[in-house]
Amino acid sequence: MSNKAARNLFIIGSLFFFVIFLVLTFDTMGKLDKRAPVITEEVNAGKMTWHKYDCIGCHTIFGNGSYFAPDLTKTAENKPKGYLKQFLMDPKAVNAKAAMPKFGISAQEADHLIAFLEWTSKVDTNGWPPKPILAAAAGVGGKELSAGQRVYQAQGCTNCHMINGIGGTTGPDLTKVGSRRDRKWLHEHFEEPQKVVPNSAMPGYKHLGDQALNDLTEYMLTLK
Amino acid sequence: MTIKYESQKIAQHFYTFAVLLFLVQVLVGIIAAIQFIKPDVFILNFNIIRSLHINALVVWLLVGFMGVTYYVISDESDTELWSLPLAKFQFWATVVTITLVVLGYIWMGISPQANSPINGINPLNEGREYIEAPRWADYLIVVSVLLFLLNCFMTVLKTKKWTGIQGVLLGGLVFLALMYLPGLFYTKSMVKDQFWWWWVVHLWVEGSWEIIAGALLAFMLMKTTGAKREVLEKWMYIEVGLVLFTGILGTGHHYYWIGTPKYWLWVGGIFSSLEPIPLLLMVWDAFRTTREARNVTNRPGLFYTVAHAIFNFVGAGLWGIIHTLPQVNKWTHGTQVTTAHGHLAFYGAYVLLVISMIYVTLPSIRGVKEYNPSRAYLSFWWMTISMVFIVLTITGAGMVQTYMERLMGLDYVAVKTTYNLWFWILRAIFGVGFLIGVGIFVVDFFKLGKEPMPVVSPAPEKA
Ligand code: HEC
Ligand code: HEC
Ligand code: HEM
Ligand code: HEM
Ligand SMILES: [Fe+2]
Repeated sequence: MSNKAARNLFIIGSLFFFVIFLVLTFDTMGKLDKRAPVITEEVNAGKMTWHKYDCIGCHTIFGNGSYFAPDLTKTAENKPKGYLKQFLMDPKAVNAKAAMPKFGISAQEADHLIAFLEWTSKVDTNGWPPKPILAAAAGVGGKELSAGQRVYQAQGCTNCHMINGIGGTTGPDLTKVGSRRDRKWLHEHFEEPQKVVPNSAMPGYKHLGDQALNDLTEYMLTLK
Repeated sequence: MTIKYESQKIAQHFYTFAVLLFLVQVLVGIIAAIQFIKPDVFILNFNIIRSLHINALVVWLLVGFMGVTYYVISDESDTELWSLPLAKFQFWATVVTITLVVLGYIWMGISPQANSPINGINPLNEGREYIEAPRWADYLIVVSVLLFLLNCFMTVLKTKKWTGIQGVLLGGLVFLALMYLPGLFYTKSMVKDQFWWWWVVHLWVEGSWEIIAGALLAFMLMKTTGAKREVLEKWMYIEVGLVLFTGILGTGHHYYWIGTPKYWLWVGGIFSSLEPIPLLLMVWDAFRTTREARNVTNRPGLFYTVAHAIFNFVGAGLWGIIHTLPQVNKWTHGTQVTTAHGHLAFYGAYVLLVISMIYVTLPSIRGVKEYNPSRAYLSFWWMTISMVFIVLTITGAGMVQTYMERLMGLDYVAVKTTYNLWFWILRAIFGVGFLIGVGIFVVDFFKLGKEPMPVVSPAPEKA
């Protein structure tokens, strides 16, 4: 091949692939809005707040960004709003071990951020992040679940709490909670956490009814 | 070794600024690494430190490219630069802009509210990875780059001596400038935001920058070994051609999970898997040319050039292909595997490229015939061995994270603070090794050609 032929191949070939890329881009742009919920003013305000505090400097969103802090694509799906709001405004007040700093996020900014995170959680991401495929994730080694354990699983307590190394880190580790708290405390705390622990960021579970709360309390008391 | 034209000396201004920013980049990198172990260790939070780390990196590489280009264009066109004062002005304008941006980051780090939007625009930090620089700085950077390109093109037009190397180099630079534009507008949708953002980031490092690398590789091989231009330029066209044939549609490997249609899994998977081929060709090119070389005039220059070709392939090609298929990327996306790849790729492809160009051009700029190469080799081994260990460490952390968090479903924070703790400690230690290497390089940069040669000169000059 002569130099001139190589050069022409380079130029024409590159243009060719760039044109294909442009066509695909055009097609993609037409499809994106159908794959995501409507963007309200609140969602957009949340996105602007996201940029203002440079959240991407620690977190990823859709898996892109920095790897210092958890991905937030689906956070709004797994964590209740009340907790998120309190955490965003003052992380260490919710979780003394939190590494996220307090930025001075206002209540309104926190609402906007949550609306933004709710939006991202509903975008069709082709199934990302994938569901874990190994058994440990379920937290059960093939054993029969007690009534309390079933409530614990169904309510997603594991998103915030850890038992025997499995579960989230935003609330206290419950592996030994049975030796720390008694029946009355636990029951009252489930009904309305804020009554027992001022400014608690844990949601209340009164709506589950007495039976479920008793089961949960029984389960907690076995954790020693 | 001497320069042909006085204005080629301007390259040294750019090199000096680049080398100092390199030092800053690595210093803050170590702080970032320590913050993985102790988050509150410094007045500035991790996000600010990280922005400084990656922005310093990108900027010193770009500044290095500019200096290098002024040198090459003048050399290839056989003439002085069109306007030396303009080049100097453009240099100082860049220095001032970058300094202001850095001060802005620090200010925001100390008081986050300072970044509150003015007329809907964040004044200190755009809050988008790699292109954190605020809008006003973007415009100043664009002006600076336009002045730079104008100067280069006017220089070429003076003699109209279009060579393949400078054609591809300038083509790559124009492509680079154009690909900055998709990062300059706001979109309400985070999906579209990331879509255009990857045009900048991916089409830079896997498009225009690799074009520049291909052209400079040919230039450096020609200068250090005296190899024939025709052969080098032919392979250069083939290499950069394959870079774009695979790399443009390879952008699809970032469009798997951000809310984009499913066909990108096919497009991105297939084309990005082919991206290592041109990089392998560059390694072969470097070895073939070196083997046939009869007249090596600048051994450290050639040494760094070959090392650049090898680590470009290993860091970008090998560490890229391991996680580029959608079946794998589904699990590793956004984990420390990405960090490992990012480090080795940037180090091999561009850090070593700019350092090679410095070693290829600096002796002639300083007008020295021979210089003591021992520090050049010593810093290479300190930097490279440390970087390889940083990357192996972080690849380990990435594998643990992928397994425990993604496959087993353990909590992100739990994996980070317990299972991966030792990897963070090791990274910080190897980071200090890297800093030592950079320190030796910086000393060498400032002293090269300014001290007498050792009494026993190394190999006698071969004719
Ligand atoms: C300096 C780094 C840093 C920055 C900047 C940062 N975060 Fe965080 N964030 C963290 C870390 C680390 C965690 C994990 C929990 C912890 O240790 O605090 C976290 C946790 C969170 C959580 C809780 C996630 C969960 O699953 O419970 C949310 C929500 C969150 N961050 C949102 C944000 C938003 C929104 C911003 C921008 C306003 C932001 N973060 C900026 C470091 C950061
Ligand atoms: C959104 C996160 C979140 C969820 C969901 C959550 N908790 Fe909590 N939990 C917390 C926080 C934060 C605390 C610490 C403040 C407090 O004690 O109220 C806490 C405290 C506790 C405590 C007291 C631990 C101690 O040692 O003081 C228990 C017990 C508990 N939670 C059980 C549960 C159970 C059972 C569920 C599910 C029904 C649950 N939590 C759901 C966040 C959560
Ligand atoms: C010199 C060339 C290259 C450089 C400098 C480079 C650099 C990077 C960087 C810094 C990231 C992380 C981006 C972020 O922070 O979000 C990244 C991501 C990625 N790179 Fe490269 N890269 C190069 C070439 C390649 C090649 C040739 C391939 C494939 C064969 C590749 C595959 C990938 C993939 C798949 C990701 C996404 C990782 C994820 O899903 O988290 N890269 N690259
Ligand atoms: C020339 C050498 C270096 C280059 C080219 C480089 C490049 C980069 C890049 C491109 C990123 C962002 C992309 C990503 O996270 O994937 C990054 C992040 C980072 N770098 Fe470096 N870096 C270098 C040296 C160092 C050193 C010596 C250290 C300290 C040990 C360091 C520590 C870090 C840390 C902690 C992050 C954040 C990673 C994360 O978000 O998880 N870097 N660096
Ligand atoms: Fe890419």
